[in-house]
Amino acid sequence: MASQRRRSLLTLIFICCAISSASSDQVRTSYGDSDQIRSLCISDRFIMESYFTTSHTSLDDSEFRNFLLLQQCSSEHDPTSIVPATSLIQHRNVTGEGSHRNLLTSIKLLPFYSESKLHELVILERLPLGVFADPFELQSLQQRRVFSDVSVFGDTNLELPSFRSNRSVVEIHVEVSPSDYENGEISLKLPLHARYQPLDDSGYSRVEFGEPDLFLCSSHEQRRCLVLSIGRSKTETRSVFWDIPAGIRGHTEYVSALTFAAAVLSAISILVASVLSSKVESCKNSKQS
Amino acid sequence: MSQGFSEDNDMSRGSENTDDEPPKWLSFRSLLVFSMFLRVFLIVYGEWQDANMEVRYTDVDYIVFSDAASLMASGESPYKRTTYRYSPLLALLLTPNSFFHRSFGKFLFSASDLLVGWFIHTILKERKVPEKICTYSVMVWLFNPFTFTIGTRGNCEPIVCAMVLWIIISLMRGNLSQAALWYGLVVHFRVYPIIYALPIILVLDSQVFRSGQKPPLEDWNTGQAKTPTSNTEKKTFLFSLFTALKSLFSRERIMFALVSGGVFLACNAVSFYFYGHEFLHEALLYHLTRTDPRHNFSIYFYHIYLHYERQFSALEKLISFLPQFTVQFALVSCFWQDLVFCIFLQTVAFVAFNKVITAQYFVWFYCLLPLILPWSRMKLKWEGLLCIILWIGAQTHWLLWGYMLEFKGLNVFLQLWVAGLLFLAANTFVLVKIIQRHRFSPLFRRYESSPPKHVKKLH
Repeated sequence: MASQRRRSLLTLIFICCAISSASSDQVRTSYGDSDQIRSLCISDRFIMESYFTTSHTSLDDSEFRNFLLLQQCSSEHDPTSIVPATSLIQHRNVTGEGSHRNLLTSIKLLPFYSESKLHELVILERLPLGVFADPFELQSLQQRRVFSDVSVFGDTNLELPSFRSNRSVVEIHVEVSPSDYENGEISLKLPLHARYQPLDDSGYSRVEFGEPDLFLCSSHEQRRCLVLSIGRSKTETRSVFWDIPAGIRGHTEYVSALTFAAAVLSAISILVASVLSSKVESCKNSKQS
Repeated sequence: MSQGFSEDNDMSRGSENTDDEPPKWLSFRSLLVFSMFLRVFLIVYGEWQDANMEVRYTDVDYIVFSDAASLMASGESPYKRTTYRYSPLLALLLTPNSFFHRSFGKFLFSASDLLVGWFIHTILKERKVPEKICTYSVMVWLFNPFTFTIGTRGNCEPIVCAMVLWIIISLMRGNLSQAALWYGLVVHFRVYPIIYALPIILVLDSQVFRSGQKPPLEDWNTGQAKTPTSNTEKKTFLFSLFTALKSLFSRERIMFALVSGGVFLACNAVSFYFYGHEFLHEALLYHLTRTDPRHNFSIYFYHIYLHYERQFSALEKLISFLPQFTVQFALVSCFWQDLVFCIFLQTVAFVAFNKVITAQYFVWFYCLLPLILPWSRMKLKWEGLLCIILWIGAQTHWLLWGYMLEFKGLNVFLQLWVAGLLFLAANTFVLVKIIQRHRFSPLFRRYESSPPKHVKKLH
């Protein structure tokens, strides 16, 4: 009897380990179990709305996590039927060529979420320093119902090179319907643009993308959000990067010298042509008068 | 057509040309009507393309203006719209976009574009250019593909061009205060016309602008014949410059400076009153200190990008400004009497030597080109064609490398920079050729005629 019980216990443990290891490379859980952030209660339309106004300056993981800790629901609002915070990022890629590309992400939601009253998937893309999203382009996507809501926070200057700008974060809201749970995948395509990169001797500058932060939120005024995953800056399993052309430092001296030489040469040519032309005219006129 | 387009003929043989009248269907009025319909069609087509195709017809700048105008209409500052870097006047002009139709601005700019055509015709007619050459010159503006797309895409440059041409017309008619008013306004609107200040001031000679009288114009026919009349005498450029500077503080010059300066300051003061420091930074200082490291036609872009991590010293900035300054000064000294030619050359040179060159700047001299063509000895075959091919070829070459960088993601900064150098070379070549082939003709004729043997004195 005792050995039977021991065997069934071992089997149970084995099964649990098998399940957890099978999905470990796709499941992203929050930092450490001791201070897991499970749900947020926010009064703004966007989670990130108050981030930059409450003296946060960077978007790195620790500062971001501290911000989320402050937005946590107090215990009485915590739902009793808490489900494990898991989501699956099936696929992540940067597609396209040149300075304007798309960040593709596909997310799988687990079926038991459909029972909650939370119908809006919120994705926070904390963009790395070398790229930016155009708020006006995103607004037109929203008007075409690609996203239900979208906003960019942080440094939205479209013109400065990356070493003179700060990071930005794109918050995307997508409506989830029961059919999304059945079919499994929600695909997102975020158009991004490259900034001018710091100089590099190789001629290219690599920009790496981390994982997005995912939340499942309610649609009404006082929003309650379930934390699905708080992404890490770098992933162990897949590396999503974009190589952007950058100026080569070694060119500096001769580019500057030749630029000025060309300008001086052109200026002299025009000067000589002007002077000669006016001399010719005055000679012509003085001959005829 | 035996005679063909105006550039085809040697202009100096115009008086021998018996076929002076263009065919009826090619009259100025019919050209204008056709141009109007073309622009209306393009605006309507643009709306369709915006709604149905991925690539928009409308310029990004137009969307910026419209957004700024709607912000202004709802009582806020237009500078809340990022990248709005113009006078509040532009946003004010476009406020009907919000309550009337979003294409109102495009119609306004296209109307200005047609007005420029009208002004070109007026200026050439007042200088007694034959009808046929006049018509062909106007066609150079109205049917330039760049011209009709720029207004219909929603770019505001046609308004600036119309103002510059109106200033020339006012000067030609002796309306100095009107010219000064519009000059102050256009410099407030777009800073670049400040380069015309020196030649305009030099040309405001007391001997030419007698109060209440229209100044006598040197027309197209004088100088066409082999022996010019004594009135078209041109002194050496140093002498004429010296005499002009001697009477620098004449009544007309001071009045022009005061009125235009006053209008400029008043516009800035009103804008500053409403929109504060944002206006100063975005609309004025930005243009004066702009160093954009992003790729553009200018030879300086890669130099600026490579040095962007460290700031330029004051000495470096001064040195980089020297070629521009030298060229402007040389052109004004040599050609100020032929005012229209002078400002054309100045504009081409200004754009070519600028730290940032974008395609919309080309309109600034496209509107002046028809005004100098009747005085050019350049024939379309083959010199004219060569200039056109070299200039457009150099641009196309640059655009190819720009495409590789922006849409293929290849590091071609060096090649782009060389393409920029080639574009400057093409600009220089075309400028030199135009100078060499131009039949110098002062805009204004002096009242006194001197005995042929003596050098003319001013008083």
